[in-house]
Amino acid sequence: MTRAPCRLAALGQVSALGRSNAQVRERLAAGDGSRLTLSERFVPERSLWLGEVHDSLPAIPAALERFACRNNQLALAALEAIAGPVQEALARFGAQRVGVVVGTSTSGVGDAEAAIAHRERTGVLAHEFHYDQLEFGGLARFVAEVTGARGPAYTLSTACSSGARALASARSLLALGLCDAVISGAADSLCGLTTNGFAALGAISANVTNPFSRNRDGLTLGEASALFLVTREPGGIQLLGVGDSSEAHHMSAPDPEGRGAETAMRGALADARLEPGEIAYLNLHGTGTPQNDAMESAAVMRVFGGELSSSSTKPLVGHTLGAAGAIEAAFCWLVLDATGPELALPPHVWDGARDPELAPIRLTGKGERAAASSSARVMTNSFGFGGNNCTLILGRSDS
Amino acid sequence: MKASLLRWSAWAPGLDSAAAWEAWAKSPVPLPTSGAPDAKFLPAMLRRRCTPLTRTMLTAAFGAAEPDELARLRTVFSSRHGSINESIGLLENVVRREKLSPATFSHTVHNAQAGLFSIAAGNRAASSSLSGQEDSWTAAWIEALCFLERDPSEPVLAVIGDVPLAEVFAPLCDEAAVPYAFAAQVAAAGRGPTISMELTSEGRAGTLPALRPAWPPAIEFLRWFLSGEESLVQANRANAVRWRRL
Repeated sequence: MTRAPCRLAALGQVSALGRSNAQVRERLAAGDGSRLTLSERFVPERSLWLGEVHDSLPAIPAALERFACRNNQLALAALEAIAGPVQEALARFGAQRVGVVVGTSTSGVGDAEAAIAHRERTGVLAHEFHYDQLEFGGLARFVAEVTGARGPAYTLSTACSSGARALASARSLLALGLCDAVISGAADSLCGLTTNGFAALGAISANVTNPFSRNRDGLTLGEASALFLVTREPGGIQLLGVGDSSEAHHMSAPDPEGRGAETAMRGALADARLEPGEIAYLNLHGTGTPQNDAMESAAVMRVFGGELSSSSTKPLVGHTLGAAGAIEAAFCWLVLDATGPELALPPHVWDGARDPELAPIRLTGKGERAAASSSARVMTNSFGFGGNNCTLILGRSDS
Repeated sequence: MKASLLRWSAWAPGLDSAAAWEAWAKSPVPLPTSGAPDAKFLPAMLRRRCTPLTRTMLTAAFGAAEPDELARLRTVFSSRHGSINESIGLLENVVRREKLSPATFSHTVHNAQAGLFSIAAGNRAASSSLSGQEDSWTAAWIEALCFLERDPSEPVLAVIGDVPLAEVFAPLCDEAAVPYAFAAQVAAAGRGPTISMELTSEGRAGTLPALRPAWPPAIEFLRWFLSGEESLVQANRANAVRWRRL
């Protein structure tokens, strides 16, 4: 059985690398790690490197004030870039045929912190706080209301694989015929809860995250939104494969052998009917924690051997948690959306100190390129807390 | 869109068997507002880490499948509020500039129930966790259909549950605030009692307030499923869902 095409027809995004696709593409190809900043804002008595969004963000429309929070502003920034194609899809298919499936791990919890702080001082929640800002389902509802989409609208939250899962479900909604277009991706915002939570877990690196290095000591957090208009059209850049698994292991640590990661990658290859040798580039989950990089490199080695060009883009934007799967799919989309004869691969930015304990996967060097054939395929990995893994394969399908 | 509903299980205070739910469905009354199951089927070590919501959802999940199925089926976990009650304590820690408990933090992710289920059942299959606000049951059903689209050969275990929101947020949320969970094996059409689900614009939230019963939408769905009535229309935020038995 052949599934209907699944075109990632338009992309809007915002992260520490910026807001415009052209600018992000340039900084990604250059491996511009200068966008991370040192901040004392979140964790008491500790400065953290963070992938904060510095661009000014659009204001939430007054009529949707109950959704006003930074998380939704990030989503709105991404949406603004695809407003034209989204409105065309609504006009062409009808609002009820356009769905919204998005991911987040934070929703508006950063703004809820302010509301709770207000309550500590005054005994009541801040007046401007609405539950729509905090509840996970609020992100999908906001995207639906601000665009006018009236099809199915829900928010996936499987920690760091949320954004990848959302795109997987968008593809199924189209294949099922429940929708003719889906707005899909993710938004996740920096806040006191996640920064202090990961600090308490001892998971945050002292300097900028340094994935796969023998000196790696943890992750750098970030925030982002990436939203795609996903359609049932052929051509362009397609979502070709999805693979997923659970770990049945531990709430906050992966299976050391990387069996779940391997299942997800092999599942995506089988789903796309591709052999490992047909993948040109892998965007690694690559968080920079000792455990993730050890199990992921072992799993990549088992699936691909040591030849596949692979990089983590987390040293450029941080680990954007619930948005990671979507923003890293966006980076893969930018790699594929090249006009020349070659694809510029995002380099792996690190200190270059190989860890002899890790499987020797090939990390993408600066300036590395791959052939931009009409069948170029790239993969992206996302592995989440609670043991939830999701791998996507994107590819060009010039028709 | 058609699918079959195979085995199901539900839990609310005082309603812990199929017979109890069948009796309730004949003359439904509002559900009790507090209580949690003891979830004795979980190993003691694991049970200690389970919040009331986790115990409630896992009780329904484990009641809806045999052990080999529990270890094998793909799962969808849906909850409007998830672990927000546990997050409140962490948020208070944050604003008081206190240290957070790492264990509490890693158990308040929205997929905590799915993660603990995967560990308890030894399940390594694909799993999704979601929230669709008031429409979380419709969303769970749709997400189960998404898994069936990818592979219709095995059913999907769809689990939904919530517990009442803590006092700080409860006034902000207009809903039937009761602890409950419902789990159902959703399979490709024709494998069992077959149901069609259709999104419509009739009876949208606000236009037909009488469509909102005094119990959660998932429990209203269960009541309808047990009733033998031909169809049910439930108001969602932006559309409505019409369930029909075939």
